[in-house]
Amino acid sequence: MAPFRPVALLLAVLLVASLPTPGRTQPAAGSGLTVQLTAEPPGLDLTATPASATATVVFYNVQEALVKVDERGRLVPWLAERWYTADNLNYTFFLKRGVRFHNGRPFTAEDVKYVLDRARNPETRHPHVKHYEDITAIHVKDAHTVTISLRKPNAMFLYTLARQGSVMYPREAVEQLKSQPVGTGPFLLARWDRGDRIVLKRNPEYHVRGLPRLEQVTFRFIADQNAALAALQAGDVDVVAGVGLGPESVEVVRRAPNLQVIVGESTSDVILALNNSRKPYSDVRARRALTHAIDKEEVVKGAMFGLGRVLGTNIDALNPYFVDMSKAVPYNPEKAKQLLAEAGYPNGFDAVLKVPPQYPYTVRTGEVIVGQLARVGVRVRLEQIEWGQWLDRVYKQADYDMTIIGHAEAWDAGNYANPKYYFRYDSPRFQEIYEKSESTLDDGKRRALYHELQRIMVEEAPVVWLYAYPRIVAAKKGVQGIWKDLPTPSFDLSEVAWAK
Amino acid sequence: MPAWRSLFLGFARLVAPPRPATSGGAVFGVARLVAPPRPATSCGAPAGFARLMRRYIVRRVVAFLATLVVVSILIFVVIRVLPGDPALIIMGTEGSPEAAAALRRAMGLDRPWPIQYGDWVRRALQGDLGRSIQYDVPVGGLILSRLRVTLPLTVLAALFMVAAALPLGMYAATHHRRLGDYVAMIASQLGIAIPSFWAGLLLILLFAVKLGWVQAGGFAGWEAGVGAAVRSLTLPALALGLIQAAILTRTTRSAVLEVLYAEHVRTARAKGLAERVVTWKHVFRNAVIPVVTIAGLQLGQLMAGSIVLENVFYLPGLGRLALGAISARDLPVVQGVVLFVAATIVTLNFTVDLLYGWLDPRIRYD
Repeated sequence: MAPFRPVALLLAVLLVASLPTPGRTQPAAGSGLTVQLTAEPPGLDLTATPASATATVVFYNVQEALVKVDERGRLVPWLAERWYTADNLNYTFFLKRGVRFHNGRPFTAEDVKYVLDRARNPETRHPHVKHYEDITAIHVKDAHTVTISLRKPNAMFLYTLARQGSVMYPREAVEQLKSQPVGTGPFLLARWDRGDRIVLKRNPEYHVRGLPRLEQVTFRFIADQNAALAALQAGDVDVVAGVGLGPESVEVVRRAPNLQVIVGESTSDVILALNNSRKPYSDVRARRALTHAIDKEEVVKGAMFGLGRVLGTNIDALNPYFVDMSKAVPYNPEKAKQLLAEAGYPNGFDAVLKVPPQYPYTVRTGEVIVGQLARVGVRVRLEQIEWGQWLDRVYKQADYDMTIIGHAEAWDAGNYANPKYYFRYDSPRFQEIYEKSESTLDDGKRRALYHELQRIMVEEAPVVWLYAYPRIVAAKKGVQGIWKDLPTPSFDLSEVAWAK
Repeated sequence: MPAWRSLFLGFARLVAPPRPATSGGAVFGVARLVAPPRPATSCGAPAGFARLMRRYIVRRVVAFLATLVVVSILIFVVIRVLPGDPALIIMGTEGSPEAAAALRRAMGLDRPWPIQYGDWVRRALQGDLGRSIQYDVPVGGLILSRLRVTLPLTVLAALFMVAAALPLGMYAATHHRRLGDYVAMIASQLGIAIPSFWAGLLLILLFAVKLGWVQAGGFAGWEAGVGAAVRSLTLPALALGLIQAAILTRTTRSAVLEVLYAEHVRTARAKGLAERVVTWKHVFRNAVIPVVTIAGLQLGQLMAGSIVLENVFYLPGLGRLALGAISARDLPVVQGVVLFVAATIVTLNFTVDLLYGWLDPRIRYD
């Protein structure tokens, strides 16, 4: 019968197609590495988007800055070989010689001037114009010497030059940064198959001898955590990192004979944000009550399978001024009830907790917290909202009671000094100390100020700091050179290699 | 009746939505639900045929364009009413709100909607669907490149669906209330109950992780050869077709059952025709209209289902493009994809309408 002839043909095709293939296509060890990436970058221009997916691909791999944050969180010279300042206002940088952009042109002081002038010009829509606002002039002395002048001492200045938004690129490539970024990094962008993968190729002219050690790096976009794990198990990808691997899968990977797991620290602080402009969160007693009501150890166990460090303030363990405040406001439901009564809520209150399921940990963490708060009479309804809506409603308009999110940026205490930020936390005391810390360059004095900041955070409890999201990397055995901790949002692949 | 003749007659009657000849007869039960039948008034007279044909085509084209206009306005408004915009998403939680506002202005999103829409329509009419915000490439090319994955995936899933459902449904009906029937029905019930993403994960675990026969996902690309490309689409197509195959099996079974005991079948048997001829020529042919109707609707569902499976198998297809574009508020891409899908589904429905006439000469299009 007519309808069945194509059917038989199809069955034959399917059968043939499902037969095992001899010799699966895999790059020989030592040549290439395939890395899973959860989100596809919204453009590859680091001077236009702070997205972590963009930084993972481009920062340190394709483009580099004058200064670099190394694995231990220290600032080290990079495209600038050394620098000096006599007055903390005028910094002279001596650029590394023999550095070339991927387009073959030498990197010079003119490029530094162009890049930083562009960053501080609000019309170019750099996501962090503010970071550069203290710069008053950039003076090119010769091809390899440049002086940057500041209007006032800025303790974060060198760090700002190490940020992803301060990467060096050639002026002639400024129009193509979004889809074909050019830089000085160990790899150059070979291909971006939209929706599928980004391929980086070794830069043979790289200015650090012997690096990079890989010929090629392929980033594949796999959003689903289960699919990412299956791809690792099946050998389709070599590395799964970041939020790509759920904490629940760490044991599975650990037990697999051909895989390894790296668990380290990151700068991502997961918080229960409270809208300080709304009742009852405007009352410090209510906020402290919520902190007392939450058993953070249990949250880490329940939502993160025990991975992640309990936080006491927004200063994470990778920060040099970190003080362990995790026990400062301990779990104490009785105390919580008492504080709620003092604040005028003897019977608790109702609240809506908005979480974005794009980040699965926010939902799981929320579920644990709803149960814990119920024990002190706070009735919380968990509401899942899509990421775009979260950014609009919660982040932009501060239309929320409570929410859970991880803040990935390092050195982000300034968010608490900004009363317009979505916490709506307005503390003149905190703002004053923070301002002081920004312009204090003496390390001892600055450390004291940061300790003070952490004390204020504990006392005023603007949000509930829950835990630092762990850095979790799962990789095939034999992959070496991956950073254990992640003090900066990048994925430095220059020293990664396969064991011989 | 030779196939070419029925095809010709069917085509000759394509001047309006299909109208089955009789109001009675359970055979067309399902078809009637989908395309309300009306009795034909006369046998297909070829007089004035060209005029009727022209009228029919004009009517269909107008309906087609109207659908596209309505859909484009709808999607244009819906995606702008949704909270969130591309500038916010590009800036995320790390960028400053001032930078997001400046970016929004630069993208022209602060202009009134009607102006933005007019602008978009004007360019679309010139064949320019705009540029993707996230990808910085033309939307038209983006859609075409994704079709290279989604189209074969959907076709493969549809073929799988038909290949599994028709024989199974026929078998179950001809073995009514016997063991084979029950087995087939339990199997199809399971198929309906298993969500496609789960079926996909199970298939990955078995064939990719345990057996290592295929890759866990991803698309090899047509450059890697037809064999490799089809192989990387086989598992997702199976997972995608499973639930639809189960539904179609049940439809086929009940459609065949309704015809199986009809009088013309008894007559055919009484004439002494071989059982095989009875089954295929007299039963199947008459039972196939509701099956085609449902299968036509299922093609649309396969396209929708591909969104889920392209994510599980991380295939760079149209569904994943749409999903990613919606969550990134990549407005030009969302508009382009939705418009394209709407056009495809309208065309599919049209094709199914044409099929009716071929399958049942009594159906008229006046």
